[in-house]
Amino acid sequence: MTSLLAVLIDGSIYASWLFLVAAGLTVIYGVMRILNMAHGSFYAIGAYSAASLVGWYFNNGIGPAWISYLLLVGAALLAGLIVGVIIERGLLRLMYGRDEILMVIITYALLLILEDTMKIVWGVNPYFAYQPYSELGRTSLGLLKVSNYDLSLVGVSAVIGLVLWGLLERTNTGKVLRAVIHDREIAVAMGVNVRLMFTITFVIGTILGALAGALTAPAISVVPGIGIEVIVLAFAVVVIGGLGSIGGAAVGALLVGLSRAAAVHYAPEFELFVIYGVMSLVLAFRPEGLFGRTLARKI
Amino acid sequence: MEMLTRPVSGCITIIVVAFTLLVAQGAQAERFELGASADEADAVIGCLYPMTGRSATYGRDSIVGIQIALDDLAAEAKAGLTPPKLRVIADDPRSKASYAVRLAQDFVAKDNARFFCGIVSSGVAHAVSDLARNDKIIMVGTDHASSRLSIEAGHDYYFRVTNDSWTSMAAGARYLRDLQKQTGWKRLAFVGPDYDYGHVSWTDLQLALDGLGVEYETVSALWPKLYEPDYSIYINALQSAKPDVVVTALWGGDFIAFIKQASTTRFFENIRLANFDTGANYDVMMALGDQPYPGLILSARHHNNWPETGRNKRFVAQFHDLTGRYPTYAAEGAYTGIIAIARAIEKAGGSNDSRALIKALEGLQLALPEDPPGFASYIDPDTHQIVQAQAVGTVVHNEDFPPSKLMVGNWAIYDAEDLKPSKEMVKRRRDAVAGGSEAVPPPTP
Repeated sequence: MTSLLAVLIDGSIYASWLFLVAAGLTVIYGVMRILNMAHGSFYAIGAYSAASLVGWYFNNGIGPAWISYLLLVGAALLAGLIVGVIIERGLLRLMYGRDEILMVIITYALLLILEDTMKIVWGVNPYFAYQPYSELGRTSLGLLKVSNYDLSLVGVSAVIGLVLWGLLERTNTGKVLRAVIHDREIAVAMGVNVRLMFTITFVIGTILGALAGALTAPAISVVPGIGIEVIVLAFAVVVIGGLGSIGGAAVGALLVGLSRAAAVHYAPEFELFVIYGVMSLVLAFRPEGLFGRTLARKI
Repeated sequence: MEMLTRPVSGCITIIVVAFTLLVAQGAQAERFELGASADEADAVIGCLYPMTGRSATYGRDSIVGIQIALDDLAAEAKAGLTPPKLRVIADDPRSKASYAVRLAQDFVAKDNARFFCGIVSSGVAHAVSDLARNDKIIMVGTDHASSRLSIEAGHDYYFRVTNDSWTSMAAGARYLRDLQKQTGWKRLAFVGPDYDYGHVSWTDLQLALDGLGVEYETVSALWPKLYEPDYSIYINALQSAKPDVVVTALWGGDFIAFIKQASTTRFFENIRLANFDTGANYDVMMALGDQPYPGLILSARHHNNWPETGRNKRFVAQFHDLTGRYPTYAAEGAYTGIIAIARAIEKAGGSNDSRALIKALEGLQLALPEDPPGFASYIDPDTHQIVQAQAVGTVVHNEDFPPSKLMVGNWAIYDAEDLKPSKEMVKRRRDAVAGGSEAVPPPTP
């Protein structure tokens, strides 16, 4: 029984982290039809920025611990904004309208460049920013002691999901974005500034990626390669849920999170297999993903 | 015009960034050439060590270890002895087996190398070991530790000169046996990286415990991937399994990350965490800061503060003089590799013949920094694995090796002869492979 509870808790925490990472990826694909391979790098940049800033803050004993949570979010917002604007304005804007496969290759190249750039900037040794994690303490759930930071990550993830849903479904900007998703050409004809919408969407996606990294940084060791590992998992999640679907990403994250936690607790040898096993199973029966829609293709 | 200039400026930006990165990468990946010139050298040794990435510390320390060995040989020459003149070339295999094999082939074809040395990753070492066997080049492993390389996959041309996973786990099993007498622990868990080294370490530990007749219950065995950044789920799973002792084969940054993440939980309040092969490495000691977490049981393939012999103190001081810092165990491994090759050439009378050199290496005795007083390491003629003593201990305050504030102390010393794998076990493991099984046979019940 304790094991089952542990699976549910660990699975939910892992799912919330996966959703944070996958949300930005699915938003960018949903609006811009760009399978953004560089999203993992945004996650890593957020993690490195937050870990460096929080590490500096605590090493110099500057102020109270609660400020460090603001620093985490601030680092992510700033890093995501700067990187997002530079990449969208400096690179992607030149490529709009090209084939989706070409965009995959371009963003993959960007991923490799950013990975090496991060090694040059931050080096190859791990960064630890565990103070915000340990400061929040732990809560007893049955016989288990669960980190409050991890539990709050579940809450943050749910809030971000709701905000994204509200933004897309309940605001004028969301309506415009959905118009762009529905038919880009008609949206242009109706006077929508699609390029501006693309910039906004990409920066939101980048900030979400960086935020995921920044919020995860206190719980992990920030090391080279985390961006590449994360993008593979994020793709598995969005493919299971259906590309471009926020709700799908949430369900995909839950499926992967719970499956992986169950594997770690009950059959550790199958941990890696389980994630991709779930993905294969979903794709075998619903190639468009659980919440994906089959779209007519223009020829 | 705007349509033209934007792509052009974008392309120029990309080219400039790419060029900058290439230059930076090129500078990092520069190969090292140490010792005698190509014309003067009696033998050329091609070494493979990581110079970039997360394991770069081990590569850098190995290069310094090689330099100390060459300096020692040069000092012998000045004193009137006639050690061989060695030329050592080191390059970075970037943790890729195929690239390592290509570099090793180039060492032979372009540099006329007669020996391979080094390699941190056991997976990469397997690939180069196969090449060594096929091309009849002697390989002296100095860092990787999977005992499969010397037992199941052992061959005439492969030698290994620091503790392997068997030696470390045999010492660990003895420590656990003694600990059980004091504390009565029963529940054992294991967490190791999900590749050859991790799995072989776990099998080695089980075999060693069973061989000693230790009674225990395995409550969990977890396999996070190498370079896993987030161990929280594994830490939770371990705590749920309620082990008395967790043995880990996580190493380097992974072990440090595990400790840091476990320290934010109540892990260390109830569980002993043991790392018998790499845990006491100097980079781990530094990373612990001033926190001697209770229940940490550590050892490594070389310690800066054990044994307290003149030879070890001199080696550590030489390293410190050259670099201004203290060595990880990789340095002593690389040092040993070069000294072993030099002594083998001397013993073989300067012969170029591989068979004569293999004969010379088999049973070769070496007085090394990590040897306790009254003992000299030697290479087992059967497995080609060096036979060494090992010390296991707990973390204590010790600021003699700054910036580390902690070192391992409270030593339990295990004799080299006791840590050798038995002939029966070696035969059983080799027979299992000969019978078509790729896996190390499971421990006897």
